[in-house]
Amino acid sequence: MSKIAEVKNLVETGKSKKVAAAVQESLDAGDKAQDILDAMIASMGVVGDKFSSGEIFVPEMLIAAKAMSKGVEVLKPIMAGDGSSSLGTCIMGTVAGDLHDIGKNLVVMMLESAGFDMVDLGVDVPAEKFVEAVKQNNNVVLIACSGLLTTTMPALKEAVQTVKAACPDMKVIVGGAPVTQEYADEIDADGYAPDAGSSASKAKEILGL
Amino acid sequence: MLTIKENLKEVMTGGNPERFVKQYEFMEMIMSVPMTRMKPPIGGEIVNEWGVTIRWPEGQIGSFPVHDDELIVIKDICEWKDYVNAPNLKHSDDAWKTAIAQAAAVNRKEKYVTAFMAPGLFELTHFLMRMENALMNFYEEPEAMHELIDFFTQYELDYAREVIDHIHPDALFHHDDWGSQISTFLSPAMFEEFFVPAYKKIYGFWKENGVEIIVHHSDSYAATLVPYMIEMGIDIWQGVMTTNNISELIEKYGNDITFMGGVDSGIVDKPDWTQEQINTEFRRACTNYGKLYFIPGLSQGLAISSFPGVYEAADEAIDNMSKEMF
Repeated sequence: MSKIAEVKNLVETGKSKKVAAAVQESLDAGDKAQDILDAMIASMGVVGDKFSSGEIFVPEMLIAAKAMSKGVEVLKPIMAGDGSSSLGTCIMGTVAGDLHDIGKNLVVMMLESAGFDMVDLGVDVPAEKFVEAVKQNNNVVLIACSGLLTTTMPALKEAVQTVKAACPDMKVIVGGAPVTQEYADEIDADGYAPDAGSSASKAKEILGL
Repeated sequence: MLTIKENLKEVMTGGNPERFVKQYEFMEMIMSVPMTRMKPPIGGEIVNEWGVTIRWPEGQIGSFPVHDDELIVIKDICEWKDYVNAPNLKHSDDAWKTAIAQAAAVNRKEKYVTAFMAPGLFELTHFLMRMENALMNFYEEPEAMHELIDFFTQYELDYAREVIDHIHPDALFHHDDWGSQISTFLSPAMFEEFFVPAYKKIYGFWKENGVEIIVHHSDSYAATLVPYMIEMGIDIWQGVMTTNNISELIEKYGNDITFMGGVDSGIVDKPDWTQEQINTEFRRACTNYGKLYFIPGLSQGLAISSFPGVYEAADEAIDNMSKEMF
Protein backbone atom coordinates (compact mmCIF):
# COMPACT_ATOMS: atom_id res chain seq x y z
CA MET A 1 0.00 0.00 0.00
CA SER A 2 1.38 3.44 -0.91
CA LYS A 3 1.89 5.92 1.87
CA ILE A 4 -0.94 8.12 0.60
CA ALA A 5 -3.28 5.14 0.44
CA GLU A 6 -2.34 4.35 4.02
CA VAL A 7 -3.18 7.90 5.11
CA LYS A 8 -6.48 7.66 3.27
CA ASN A 9 -7.31 4.40 4.99
CA LEU A 10 -6.37 5.74 8.43
CA VAL A 11 -8.66 8.76 7.99
CA GLU A 12 -11.54 6.65 6.76
CA THR A 13 -11.24 4.34 9.73
CA GLY A 14 -10.68 7.17 12.20
CA LYS A 15 -7.24 6.18 13.47
CA SER A 16 -6.39 9.62 14.81
CA LYS A 17 -3.39 8.45 16.82
CA LYS A 18 -1.66 7.03 13.73
CA VAL A 19 -2.49 9.57 11.04
CA ALA A 20 0.09 12.23 11.90
CA ALA A 21 2.97 9.77 11.63
CA ALA A 22 1.60 8.34 8.39
CA VAL A 23 1.30 11.81 6.86
CA GLN A 24 4.88 12.56 7.84
CA GLU A 25 6.04 9.26 6.32
CA SER A 26 4.15 10.10 3.15
CA LEU A 27 5.86 13.48 2.95
CA ASP A 28 9.22 11.87 3.64
CA ALA A 29 8.57 9.44 0.81
CA GLY A 30 8.24 12.39 -1.53
CA ASP A 31 4.48 12.77 -1.77
CA LYS A 32 3.26 16.33 -2.26
CA ALA A 33 1.36 17.95 0.61
CA GLN A 34 -1.49 18.89 -1.73
CA ASP A 35 -1.85 15.29 -2.89
CA ILE A 36 -1.97 14.04 0.68
CA LEU A 37 -4.57 16.66 1.55
CA ASP A 38 -6.65 15.74 -1.49
CA ALA A 39 -6.52 12.09 -0.45
CA MET A 40 -7.77 12.94 3.03
CA ILE A 41 -10.55 15.11 1.59
CA ALA A 42 -11.55 12.21 -0.62
CA SER A 43 -11.61 9.95 2.43
CA MET A 44 -14.00 12.28 4.18
CA GLY A 45 -16.17 12.24 1.07
CA VAL A 46 -16.37 8.47 1.40
CA VAL A 47 -17.14 8.81 5.11
CA GLY A 48 -19.92 11.31 4.36
CA ASP A 49 -21.46 9.00 1.78
CA LYS A 50 -21.32 6.04 4.13
CA PHE A 51 -23.01 8.11 6.85
CA SER A 52 -25.76 9.24 4.50
CA SER A 53 -26.42 5.67 3.43
CA GLY A 54 -26.57 4.43 7.03
CA GLU A 55 -23.49 2.29 6.71
CA ILE A 56 -21.70 4.17 9.47
CA PHE A 57 -22.92 6.30 12.37
CA VAL A 58 -22.00 9.55 14.11
CA PRO A 59 -19.09 8.13 16.16
CA GLU A 60 -17.39 6.80 13.03
CA MET A 61 -17.81 10.17 11.31
CA LEU A 62 -16.46 12.01 14.35
CA ILE A 63 -13.33 9.91 14.69
CA ALA A 64 -12.68 10.20 10.95
CA ALA A 65 -12.94 13.99 11.15
CA LYS A 66 -10.64 13.98 14.16
CA ALA A 67 -8.13 11.81 12.28
CA MET A 68 -8.25 14.19 9.34
CA SER A 69 -7.58 17.19 11.56
CA LYS A 70 -4.53 15.42 13.00
CA GLY A 71 -3.25 14.88 9.47
CA VAL A 72 -3.94 18.48 8.49
CA GLU A 73 -1.92 19.69 11.49
CA VAL A 74 1.16 18.08 9.95
CA LEU A 75 0.48 19.63 6.54
CA LYS A 76 -0.38 23.13 7.74
CA PRO A 77 3.16 24.46 8.25
CA ILE A 78 4.12 23.16 4.82
CA MET A 79 1.09 24.60 3.07
CA ALA A 80 1.02 27.91 4.99
CA GLY A 81 0.37 30.80 2.66
CA ASP A 82 -0.82 28.47 -0.06
CA GLY A 83 -4.45 29.46 -0.44
CA SER A 84 -5.03 27.11 -3.32
CA SER A 85 -6.30 24.35 -1.06
CA SER A 86 -9.14 26.43 0.38
CA LEU A 87 -12.61 26.31 -1.14
CA GLY A 88 -13.39 29.64 0.51
CA THR A 89 -14.92 30.65 3.81
CA CYS A 90 -18.21 29.29 5.07
CA ILE A 91 -20.15 30.96 7.88
CA MET A 92 -22.23 28.50 9.85
CA GLY A 93 -24.68 28.78 12.73
CA THR A 94 -27.86 27.44 14.29
CA VAL A 95 -30.59 30.03 13.82
CA ALA A 96 -32.13 32.34 16.43
CA GLY A 97 -34.08 30.67 19.20
CA ASP A 98 -32.50 27.28 18.60
CA LEU A 99 -29.80 25.89 20.89
CA HIS A 100 -29.10 22.59 19.13
CA ASP A 101 -25.45 22.30 18.22
CA ILE A 102 -24.59 18.65 17.56
CA GLY A 103 -25.84 18.50 13.98
CA LYS A 104 -24.32 21.90 13.30
CA ASN A 105 -20.98 20.78 14.71
CA LEU A 106 -21.00 17.71 12.49
CA VAL A 107 -21.64 19.83 9.42
CA VAL A 108 -18.81 22.20 10.43
CA MET A 109 -16.47 19.21 10.63
CA MET A 110 -17.56 17.81 7.28
CA LEU A 111 -17.29 21.15 5.47
CA GLU A 112 -13.91 21.82 7.06
CA SER A 113 -12.77 18.38 6.00
CA ALA A 114 -13.89 19.15 2.45
CA GLY A 115 -11.65 22.21 2.34
CA PHE A 116 -13.75 25.13 3.53
CA ASP A 117 -12.41 27.61 6.08
CA MET A 118 -15.15 27.49 8.68
CA VAL A 119 -16.42 30.32 10.87
CA ASP A 120 -18.73 28.79 13.47
CA LEU A 121 -21.09 31.39 14.93
CA GLY A 122 -22.51 28.86 17.41
CA VAL A 123 -26.17 28.53 18.32
CA ASP A 124 -29.07 30.97 18.66
CA VAL A 125 -27.63 33.20 15.94
CA PRO A 126 -29.73 36.23 14.94
CA ALA A 127 -30.16 36.69 11.19
CA GLU A 128 -28.18 39.94 11.16
CA LYS A 129 -25.17 38.21 12.66
CA PHE A 130 -24.76 36.06 9.55
CA VAL A 131 -24.59 39.25 7.48
CA GLU A 132 -22.10 40.86 9.86
CA ALA A 133 -19.93 37.76 9.63
CA VAL A 134 -19.88 38.01 5.84
CA LYS A 135 -18.49 41.53 6.16
CA GLN A 136 -16.01 40.66 8.89
CA ASN A 137 -14.41 37.66 7.13
CA ASN A 138 -12.49 37.29 3.92
CA ASN A 139 -13.54 35.29 0.90
CA VAL A 140 -16.93 34.20 2.25
CA VAL A 141 -18.57 32.02 -0.38
CA LEU A 142 -21.25 30.22 1.59
CA ILE A 143 -23.63 30.62 4.54
CA ALA A 144 -24.87 27.45 6.25
CA CYS A 145 -27.90 27.70 8.54
CA SER A 146 -29.17 24.96 10.78
CA GLY A 147 -32.58 24.72 12.47
CA LEU A 148 -33.62 21.71 14.55
CA LEU A 149 -37.05 22.70 15.76
CA THR A 150 -40.36 23.11 13.99
CA THR A 151 -40.78 26.27 16.05
CA THR A 152 -37.54 27.80 14.75
CA MET A 153 -38.23 27.22 11.07
CA PRO A 154 -39.46 30.82 10.71
CA ALA A 155 -36.06 31.93 12.06
CA LEU A 156 -34.41 29.85 9.34
CA LYS A 157 -36.50 31.66 6.76
CA GLU A 158 -35.61 35.01 8.27
CA ALA A 159 -31.91 34.15 8.25
CA VAL A 160 -31.97 33.16 4.57
CA GLN A 161 -33.95 36.19 3.53
CA THR A 162 -31.84 38.62 5.58
CA VAL A 163 -28.66 37.26 4.02
CA LYS A 164 -30.16 37.35 0.53
CA ALA A 165 -31.35 40.93 1.01
CA ALA A 166 -27.91 42.11 2.17
CA CYS A 167 -25.77 39.91 -0.08
CA PRO A 168 -27.86 38.88 -3.10
CA ASP A 169 -25.14 36.74 -4.66
CA MET A 170 -24.27 34.83 -1.51
CA LYS A 171 -25.13 31.13 -1.58
CA VAL A 172 -27.04 29.77 1.39
CA ILE A 173 -27.39 26.13 2.37
CA VAL A 174 -29.86 24.94 5.03
CA GLY A 175 -30.51 21.79 7.00
CA GLY A 176 -31.91 20.32 10.21
CA ALA A 177 -34.43 17.72 11.28
CA PRO A 178 -37.67 19.49 10.25
CA VAL A 179 -36.22 21.00 7.06
CA THR A 180 -37.11 19.53 3.68
CA GLN A 181 -36.11 20.32 0.10
CA GLU A 182 -39.57 21.82 -0.36
CA TYR A 183 -39.09 24.14 2.59
CA ALA A 184 -35.61 25.09 1.40
CA ASP A 185 -37.10 25.99 -2.00
CA GLU A 186 -39.91 27.93 -0.35
CA ILE A 187 -37.50 30.14 1.62
CA ASP A 188 -35.16 30.63 -1.37
CA ALA A 189 -32.21 28.74 0.02
CA ASP A 190 -29.75 27.65 -2.67
CA GLY A 191 -29.26 24.19 -1.25
CA TYR A 192 -30.50 21.67 1.28
CA ALA A 193 -28.62 18.77 2.84
CA PRO A 194 -30.66 16.12 4.64
CA ASP A 195 -27.72 15.12 6.84
CA ALA A 196 -24.16 16.06 7.75
CA GLY A 197 -22.74 13.37 5.50
CA SER A 198 -24.13 14.95 2.35
CA SER A 199 -23.52 18.57 3.38
CA ALA A 200 -20.06 18.87 1.85
CA SER A 201 -21.02 17.48 -1.56
CA LYS A 202 -24.13 19.67 -1.63
CA ALA A 203 -22.10 22.74 -0.66
CA LYS A 204 -19.62 22.10 -3.45
CA GLU A 205 -22.43 21.41 -5.90
CA ILE A 206 -24.19 24.73 -5.36
CA LEU A 207 -20.89 26.58 -5.66
CA GLY A 208 -20.07 24.78 -8.88
CA LEU A 209 -16.88 23.29 -7.42
CA MET B 1 -66.24 -2.71 30.16
CA LEU B 2 -62.54 -3.43 30.42
CA THR B 3 -60.51 -1.42 32.88
CA ILE B 4 -57.69 0.71 31.52
CA LYS B 5 -55.21 -1.99 32.52
CA GLU B 6 -57.24 -4.82 31.05
CA ASN B 7 -57.66 -2.92 27.81
CA LEU B 8 -53.91 -2.33 27.63
CA LYS B 9 -53.22 -6.02 28.17
CA GLU B 10 -55.58 -6.92 25.34
CA VAL B 11 -53.64 -4.56 23.06
CA MET B 12 -50.29 -5.94 24.17
CA THR B 13 -51.26 -9.58 23.83
CA GLY B 14 -53.11 -9.35 20.54
CA GLY B 15 -56.45 -9.94 22.20
CA ASN B 16 -59.69 -8.04 21.94
CA PRO B 17 -59.33 -4.48 23.18
CA GLU B 18 -62.48 -2.39 23.44
CA ARG B 19 -60.80 0.85 22.44
CA PHE B 20 -57.42 2.39 21.75
CA VAL B 21 -55.22 2.90 24.77
CA LYS B 22 -55.15 6.66 25.20
CA GLN B 23 -51.52 7.76 25.44
CA TYR B 24 -50.24 7.59 29.03
CA GLU B 25 -53.60 6.78 30.64
CA PHE B 26 -52.39 3.46 32.07
CA MET B 27 -49.42 4.93 33.95
CA GLU B 28 -49.73 6.89 37.17
CA MET B 29 -46.24 8.35 37.34
CA ILE B 30 -44.91 8.84 40.85
CA MET B 31 -42.75 11.91 40.31
CA SER B 32 -42.51 12.91 43.95
CA VAL B 33 -39.82 10.39 44.95
CA PRO B 34 -37.06 12.27 46.78
CA MET B 35 -34.41 11.63 44.14
CA THR B 36 -36.37 12.59 41.04
CA ARG B 37 -34.24 14.29 38.40
CA MET B 38 -33.75 18.02 38.78
CA LYS B 39 -34.77 20.33 35.96
CA PRO B 40 -34.49 24.12 35.83
CA PRO B 41 -37.56 26.33 35.55
CA ILE B 42 -38.09 28.12 32.24
CA GLY B 43 -35.54 30.92 32.15
CA GLY B 44 -33.49 29.29 34.90
CA GLU B 45 -30.30 27.35 35.41
CA ILE B 46 -29.44 24.64 37.92
CA VAL B 47 -26.67 22.22 38.71
CA ASN B 48 -28.42 18.87 38.72
CA GLU B 49 -27.96 15.80 40.89
CA TRP B 50 -24.98 14.65 38.78
CA GLY B 51 -23.29 18.04 38.80
CA VAL B 52 -24.39 18.88 35.28
CA THR B 53 -25.29 22.52 34.68
CA ILE B 54 -28.63 22.65 32.92
CA ARG B 55 -30.17 25.75 31.42
CA TRP B 56 -33.69 26.38 30.16
CA PRO B 57 -33.59 29.62 28.16
CA GLU B 58 -36.78 31.65 27.78
CA GLY B 59 -38.69 30.75 24.65
CA GLN B 60 -37.25 27.24 24.35
CA ILE B 61 -39.34 24.09 24.64
CA GLY B 62 -36.80 22.23 26.73
CA SER B 63 -33.67 22.48 28.83
CA PHE B 64 -30.11 21.88 27.65
CA PRO B 65 -26.97 20.75 29.45
CA VAL B 66 -24.27 23.41 29.30
CA HIS B 67 -21.10 21.92 27.91
CA ASP B 68 -18.50 24.64 27.75
CA ASP B 69 -14.98 23.63 28.75
CA GLU B 70 -15.32 25.01 32.25
CA LEU B 71 -18.66 23.44 33.16
CA ILE B 72 -18.31 20.06 31.51
CA VAL B 73 -18.27 17.42 34.29
CA ILE B 74 -15.95 14.73 32.89
CA LYS B 75 -12.92 16.55 31.58
CA ASP B 76 -10.92 13.37 30.94
CA ILE B 77 -12.68 10.05 30.46
CA CYS B 78 -9.65 8.11 31.69
CA GLU B 79 -9.96 9.93 35.02
CA TRP B 80 -13.75 9.76 35.24
CA LYS B 81 -13.64 8.58 38.86
CA ASP B 82 -12.18 11.94 39.81
CA TYR B 83 -15.14 13.78 38.36
CA VAL B 84 -18.25 11.65 38.80
CA ASN B 85 -20.21 11.33 42.01
CA ALA B 86 -23.48 9.44 42.05
CA PRO B 87 -26.41 11.30 43.55
CA ASN B 88 -27.47 10.50 47.08
CA LEU B 89 -30.12 7.80 47.23
CA LYS B 90 -30.64 7.60 50.97
CA HIS B 91 -33.47 9.79 52.14
CA SER B 92 -35.44 9.95 55.37
CA ASP B 93 -38.85 8.34 55.78
CA ASP B 94 -40.23 11.83 55.93
CA ALA B 95 -38.83 12.64 52.49
CA TRP B 96 -40.65 9.61 51.08
CA LYS B 97 -44.05 10.44 52.59
CA THR B 98 -45.46 12.27 49.57
CA ALA B 99 -44.45 9.58 47.08
CA ILE B 100 -45.78 6.80 49.31
CA ALA B 101 -49.09 8.62 49.70
CA GLN B 102 -49.29 9.26 45.95
CA ALA B 103 -48.70 5.58 45.22
CA ALA B 104 -51.21 4.49 47.86
CA ALA B 105 -53.89 6.64 46.27
CA VAL B 106 -53.66 4.86 42.93
CA ASN B 107 -56.32 2.33 42.06
CA ARG B 108 -54.00 -0.48 40.99
CA LYS B 109 -56.81 -2.39 39.30
CA GLU B 110 -57.19 0.51 36.90
CA LYS B 111 -53.68 1.87 36.52
CA TYR B 112 -50.03 1.00 37.02
CA VAL B 113 -48.13 2.71 39.81
CA THR B 114 -45.19 3.77 37.69
CA ALA B 115 -41.64 4.55 38.67
CA PHE B 116 -39.85 7.14 36.56
CA MET B 117 -36.17 7.15 35.62
CA ALA B 118 -34.27 9.74 33.64
CA PRO B 119 -31.77 10.36 32.26
CA GLY B 120 -30.83 6.91 31.01
CA LEU B 121 -27.42 5.32 30.68
CA PHE B 122 -26.58 6.64 27.22
CA GLU B 123 -27.92 10.08 28.02
CA LEU B 124 -25.80 10.22 31.15
CA THR B 125 -22.65 9.58 29.15
CA HIS B 126 -23.20 12.64 26.98
CA PHE B 127 -24.75 14.79 29.71
CA LEU B 128 -21.53 14.44 31.67
CA MET B 129 -19.00 14.91 28.87
CA ARG B 130 -20.71 16.40 25.77
CA MET B 131 -22.15 14.36 22.93
CA GLU B 132 -19.15 14.51 20.62
CA ASN B 133 -16.74 13.43 23.36
CA ALA B 134 -19.00 10.61 24.48
CA LEU B 135 -19.45 9.27 20.96
CA MET B 136 -15.74 9.35 20.23
CA ASN B 137 -14.87 7.79 23.57
CA PHE B 138 -16.85 4.67 22.71
CA TYR B 139 -14.14 4.11 20.09
CA GLU B 140 -11.10 5.64 21.65
CA GLU B 141 -11.49 4.73 25.33
CA PRO B 142 -13.84 1.75 25.39
CA GLU B 143 -12.57 0.35 28.68
CA ALA B 144 -13.21 3.59 30.53
CA MET B 145 -16.64 3.86 28.93
CA HIS B 146 -17.48 0.33 30.04
CA GLU B 147 -16.39 1.21 33.58
CA LEU B 148 -18.47 4.36 33.56
CA ILE B 149 -21.56 2.54 32.28
CA ASP B 150 -21.07 -0.15 34.94
CA PHE B 151 -21.00 2.65 37.52
CA PHE B 152 -24.24 4.14 36.16
CA THR B 153 -25.79 0.66 36.10
CA GLN B 154 -25.01 0.11 39.75
CA TYR B 155 -26.53 3.50 40.52
CA GLU B 156 -29.68 2.55 38.64
CA LEU B 157 -29.92 -0.74 40.52
CA ASP B 158 -29.54 1.07 43.84
CA TYR B 159 -32.14 3.61 42.74
CA ALA B 160 -34.50 0.80 41.76
CA ARG B 161 -34.06 -0.87 45.15
CA GLU B 162 -35.04 2.32 46.97
CA VAL B 163 -38.08 2.93 44.80
CA ILE B 164 -39.23 -0.67 44.98
CA ASP B 165 -38.87 -0.73 48.77
CA HIS B 166 -40.89 2.43 49.21
CA ILE B 167 -43.66 2.50 46.59
CA HIS B 168 -43.76 -1.02 45.11
CA PRO B 169 -44.29 0.07 41.50
CA ASP B 170 -46.08 -2.06 38.92
CA ALA B 171 -44.46 -0.36 35.95
CA LEU B 172 -41.31 1.53 35.05
CA PHE B 173 -41.12 4.44 32.64
CA HIS B 174 -37.50 4.86 31.67
CA HIS B 175 -36.00 7.51 29.42
CA ASP B 176 -32.96 7.08 27.23
CA ASP B 177 -32.90 8.62 23.76
CA TRP B 178 -30.95 6.33 21.48
CA GLY B 179 -31.22 8.15 18.21
CA SER B 180 -31.94 11.19 16.15
CA GLN B 181 -35.05 11.36 14.02
CA ILE B 182 -33.37 9.51 11.17
CA SER B 183 -30.77 7.23 12.71
CA THR B 184 -29.51 5.66 15.90
CA PHE B 185 -26.57 7.45 17.47
CA LEU B 186 -24.55 4.25 17.74
CA SER B 187 -24.32 1.35 15.35
CA PRO B 188 -26.40 -1.62 16.48
CA ALA B 189 -23.19 -3.56 17.19
CA MET B 190 -21.78 -0.83 19.41
CA PHE B 191 -25.14 -0.43 21.14
CA GLU B 192 -25.22 -4.16 21.81
CA GLU B 193 -21.74 -4.15 23.29
CA PHE B 194 -22.16 -1.17 25.60
CA PHE B 195 -25.81 -1.03 26.57
CA VAL B 196 -27.65 -4.32 26.15
CA PRO B 197 -25.98 -6.16 29.07
CA ALA B 198 -26.46 -3.15 31.35
CA TYR B 199 -30.13 -2.75 30.56
CA LYS B 200 -30.75 -6.48 30.88
CA LYS B 201 -29.50 -6.20 34.44
CA ILE B 202 -31.52 -3.08 35.21
CA TYR B 203 -34.81 -4.10 33.64
CA GLY B 204 -34.39 -7.64 34.93
CA PHE B 205 -34.03 -6.32 38.47
CA TRP B 206 -37.20 -4.23 38.27
CA LYS B 207 -39.10 -7.23 36.92
CA GLU B 208 -37.73 -9.57 39.58
CA ASN B 209 -39.14 -7.14 42.11
CA GLY B 210 -42.76 -6.74 41.14
CA VAL B 211 -42.67 -4.56 38.05
CA GLU B 212 -44.93 -6.02 35.36
CA ILE B 213 -44.21 -3.75 32.44
CA ILE B 214 -41.21 -1.77 31.30
CA VAL B 215 -41.96 1.26 29.13
CA HIS B 216 -38.89 2.74 27.49
CA HIS B 217 -38.88 6.23 26.00
CA SER B 218 -36.78 7.06 22.97
CA ASP B 219 -38.43 9.58 20.65
CA SER B 220 -36.27 8.78 17.70
CA TYR B 221 -35.53 6.37 14.97
CA ALA B 222 -34.55 3.10 16.65
CA ALA B 223 -36.08 0.38 14.46
CA THR B 224 -32.76 -1.45 14.22
CA LEU B 225 -32.59 -1.67 18.00
CA VAL B 226 -35.98 -3.32 18.51
CA PRO B 227 -34.54 -6.86 18.81
CA TYR B 228 -32.28 -5.55 21.60
CA MET B 229 -35.22 -3.82 23.27
CA ILE B 230 -36.97 -7.17 23.41
CA GLU B 231 -33.85 -8.85 24.74
CA MET B 232 -33.53 -6.21 27.46
CA GLY B 233 -37.10 -6.82 28.62
CA ILE B 234 -38.81 -3.72 27.26
CA ASP B 235 -42.55 -4.27 26.87
CA ILE B 236 -43.51 -0.95 25.32
CA TRP B 237 -41.32 1.35 23.24
CA GLN B 238 -42.77 4.81 23.81
CA GLY B 239 -41.85 7.61 21.44
CA VAL B 240 -41.72 5.62 18.24
CA MET B 241 -41.56 8.24 15.50
CA THR B 242 -42.91 8.04 11.99
CA THR B 243 -39.37 7.82 10.61
CA ASN B 244 -39.54 4.18 11.72
CA ASN B 245 -41.58 1.83 9.58
CA ILE B 246 -44.07 1.27 12.39
CA SER B 247 -46.42 -1.02 10.45
CA GLU B 248 -43.53 -3.31 9.60
CA LEU B 249 -42.26 -3.27 13.19
CA ILE B 250 -45.69 -4.20 14.52
CA GLU B 251 -45.99 -7.05 12.07
CA LYS B 252 -42.50 -8.34 12.79
CA TYR B 253 -42.20 -7.81 16.54
CA GLY B 254 -45.74 -7.15 17.84
CA ASN B 255 -45.89 -10.43 19.72
CA ASP B 256 -42.95 -9.34 21.84
CA ILE B 257 -43.20 -5.56 22.15
CA THR B 258 -45.84 -2.86 21.81
CA PHE B 259 -45.23 0.44 20.05
CA MET B 260 -46.47 3.69 21.58
CA GLY B 261 -46.45 6.96 19.67
CA GLY B 262 -46.89 7.18 15.93
CA VAL B 263 -47.58 10.92 15.96
CA ASP B 264 -44.47 13.10 16.02
CA SER B 265 -44.77 15.86 18.60
CA GLY B 266 -42.69 18.15 16.39
CA ILE B 267 -45.41 18.07 13.74
CA VAL B 268 -48.45 18.88 15.87
CA ASP B 269 -47.18 20.37 19.14
CA LYS B 270 -46.62 23.98 18.12
CA PRO B 271 -47.95 27.41 19.05
CA ASP B 272 -50.48 27.46 16.20
CA TRP B 273 -51.68 23.88 16.67
CA THR B 274 -55.13 22.92 15.46
CA GLN B 275 -57.52 20.15 16.45
CA GLU B 276 -58.02 19.45 12.77
CA GLN B 277 -54.35 18.67 12.15
CA ILE B 278 -54.16 16.57 15.29
CA ASN B 279 -57.26 14.64 14.20
CA THR B 280 -55.68 14.04 10.80
CA GLU B 281 -52.45 12.77 12.32
CA PHE B 282 -54.19 10.39 14.72
CA ARG B 283 -56.48 9.16 11.95
CA ARG B 284 -53.38 8.31 9.92
CA ALA B 285 -51.70 6.61 12.86
CA CYS B 286 -54.69 4.59 14.05
CA THR B 287 -55.66 3.55 10.53
CA ASN B 288 -52.15 2.59 9.47
CA TYR B 289 -50.94 0.88 12.63
CA GLY B 290 -54.17 -0.76 13.81
CA LYS B 291 -55.68 -1.87 17.08
CA LEU B 292 -53.10 -4.35 18.34
CA TYR B 293 -49.56 -3.88 19.66
CA PHE B 294 -49.97 -0.14 19.10
CA ILE B 295 -50.79 2.71 21.48
CA PRO B 296 -51.49 5.98 19.72
CA GLY B 297 -49.87 9.00 21.28
CA LEU B 298 -47.59 11.95 20.92
CA SER B 299 -43.89 11.08 20.87
CA GLN B 300 -43.29 13.40 23.86
CA GLY B 301 -41.71 11.64 26.83
CA LEU B 302 -44.35 12.46 29.45
CA ALA B 303 -48.10 12.99 29.59
CA ILE B 304 -47.69 16.62 28.64
CA SER B 305 -47.28 18.82 25.61
CA SER B 306 -45.02 21.78 24.98
CA PHE B 307 -47.96 24.01 24.08
CA PRO B 308 -51.12 24.09 26.21
CA GLY B 309 -54.03 22.00 25.01
CA VAL B 310 -52.18 19.74 22.57
CA TYR B 311 -52.06 16.68 24.84
CA GLU B 312 -55.78 16.95 25.58
CA ALA B 313 -56.54 17.49 21.89
CA ALA B 314 -54.61 14.30 21.13
CA ASP B 315 -56.73 12.42 23.70
CA GLU B 316 -59.86 13.75 22.00
CA ALA B 317 -58.59 12.63 18.59
CA ILE B 318 -57.93 9.13 19.97
CA ASP B 319 -61.42 8.98 21.51
CA ASN B 320 -62.86 9.80 18.11
CA MET B 321 -60.83 7.07 16.45
CA SER B 322 -61.92 4.57 19.12
CA LYS B 323 -65.56 5.39 18.41
CA GLU B 324 -64.97 4.95 14.71
CA MET B 325 -62.82 1.83 14.69
CA PHE B 326 -64.17 -0.26 17.60
